[in-house]
Amino acid sequence: MSNRSLPRLLQTPAVILLLIWMLVPLSLTLYFSFIRYVLNNLRRPEWTTPSFSNWRGFGNYEFVLNSKDFLFAIQNSLLIVGSILFCTVIFGVLIAVLINKSFPGQGIVRVLLISPFFVMPAVNAVLWINMILDPVLGLQGLAVNGINDMIAGLRSTPVLGAFFSLWPEFEPISFRATQTSAYAVIIMVTWQWTPFAVLIFMTSLQSEDQQQKEAAILDGAGAWSQFRFLTLPHLGRPIAIVVMIQAIFHLSLYAEIEIVSRGNGNKNLPYLIGEFANNNIGAASATGIFAVILANIVAIFLLRMIGKTLME
Amino acid sequence: MGQIVLDKVTKSFGETQVIPPLDLKIEDGEFAVFVGPSGCGKSTLLRLIAGLEDTTSGKVLIDDEDVTQVSPSKRGLSMVFQTYALYPHMTVRKNIAFPMRMAGMSEQEQEAKIKAAAESLNLTDYLDRKPGQLSGGQRQRVAIGRAIVRDPSAFLFDEPLSNLDAALRVGMRLEITEMHKRMQTTMIYVTHDQVEAMTMADKIVVLQAGVIEQVGSPLDLYHRPQNKFVAGFIGSPKMNLIEGVEAEKQGAHTIGIRPEHVEISTTEGLWQGTVGVAEHLGSDTFVHIHGVPGCDPMTVRAAGEFSVSHGDTVYLTPNLALLHKFDDKGLRIE
Repeated sequence: MSNRSLPRLLQTPAVILLLIWMLVPLSLTLYFSFIRYVLNNLRRPEWTTPSFSNWRGFGNYEFVLNSKDFLFAIQNSLLIVGSILFCTVIFGVLIAVLINKSFPGQGIVRVLLISPFFVMPAVNAVLWINMILDPVLGLQGLAVNGINDMIAGLRSTPVLGAFFSLWPEFEPISFRATQTSAYAVIIMVTWQWTPFAVLIFMTSLQSEDQQQKEAAILDGAGAWSQFRFLTLPHLGRPIAIVVMIQAIFHLSLYAEIEIVSRGNGNKNLPYLIGEFANNNIGAASATGIFAVILANIVAIFLLRMIGKTLME
Repeated sequence: MGQIVLDKVTKSFGETQVIPPLDLKIEDGEFAVFVGPSGCGKSTLLRLIAGLEDTTSGKVLIDDEDVTQVSPSKRGLSMVFQTYALYPHMTVRKNIAFPMRMAGMSEQEQEAKIKAAAESLNLTDYLDRKPGQLSGGQRQRVAIGRAIVRDPSAFLFDEPLSNLDAALRVGMRLEITEMHKRMQTTMIYVTHDQVEAMTMADKIVVLQAGVIEQVGSPLDLYHRPQNKFVAGFIGSPKMNLIEGVEAEKQGAHTIGIRPEHVEISTTEGLWQGTVGVAEHLGSDTFVHIHGVPGCDPMTVRAAGEFSVSHGDTVYLTPNLALLHKFDDKGLRIE
């Protein structure tokens, strides 16, 4: 009895600290989500201080569910996270396999590959949207103009001119537009997070058993079969880890969305919370609770998936 | 068919030549063992035959066909690795099926071959397990199964028993030898263990620093070692090599006498010495004797029990008819 209670007693401060850490913000959010609580209201000044007398029940939740952006934000959250995961894992595997072979300048190439990961998210967004994706001043605009000029030049050549005159003039894409701003975010975050995937896959590839590969060579497996039947299963676990860690990070993207289009055509749940929090803390808290639920659903799916790979 | 010929094969890694020009012929159906101390180039030689390493110069011929530039999978050889090299995420069934799957064999054919291989290797109950759930011996049998189903013209074994414990090793040794007797396929087996070489081989190739020291049947090597290296390497316990006055008496630079060819007595004999350590195995007694001129310690094998203890004086008489003589270059004198 006593030899059990003493360790428990010694653990309590840590456990209590952790509980406070988690429970206080969560219960405050829950509390705010059930009351009317705004930062500024001249007609009803009593709503500007949190109090049980302003009880609203599920009113905030109803308000959030009925707001036009809510479903869109959830869809968009999933689209952004899913696309980034898909692209980073594919590029990560390809690049990791490519640079796993030894070649001159390997060290420098590896450092350069990893460097995007050290760029701050806001800087990354500014850099991409202004210098690369901008339809006029960015690399994209320059490249599209260059191609158009080249085609225009080719139109006047004697034989092929007729063929090239059938070609249309290319239009640069504006990535701040409602329809494309989500893709801009996906592109820049993929660029930033692919190095993370490469880093993890590369270390995993280095621990791949060479005798297995030799056995496979003798068994008649070509390069593709070796990749498909040996390397890819070997990477199963690191892929699961990359997917899980990135999902956690990308569900809470904010800076990129703010900088690219200020939420125009591209909102996720954290961004929606930010918008509500300009004034309506109650609605923001209710959205926060929805975000917790969404994160848990995603986590359950991911844990199932990772659990499966770890079982093997 | 599976006759393998190496014609002036060399191998260099950068500037270092690990295998100077080497000729070797392994007949169809032969069990050849490459044996030598670690770093002698025996594994490299096997990998050259398998095609996992490119030869620097020279030719590898299988059944009179030059395969030097042929890819490993097209040489028709199967290899069993020291670490088993099983595919960890595949079941035993899929592991064994892998080479057939790569060759595009039909499902029924695969299934029949897996069944036959599993039966001959006692793996039927384990077909749906993964390698991680098997013991070392079972894993090695799976690796052999994967090699068998390809119907290779020759099997290559790269120290396949080194990772097993002593008891299993003896069992697997027998299984592989029996498999060879049954299948009559050429086998090349690399080991550093001379006991494995002696017990399994039709032909032993003793290597040192990439050079073939001697090729011959196990008993050939035991009775007529061509040089001091082979004399010391083959046989357990090691042959006693004696230099100096005693050797000169026999007209040689060095003389060698095997521990089992020395008679030990507590009363009289040619040489005198004191007992260091006596190892009592029951069937034999190995006695290590100090103080014999030119050889310290000298090992003697006495049949049955021979009760001596540390510090006792004993007398030794070599069987002169079974003495090996070597000149100052270490070569055998007839």
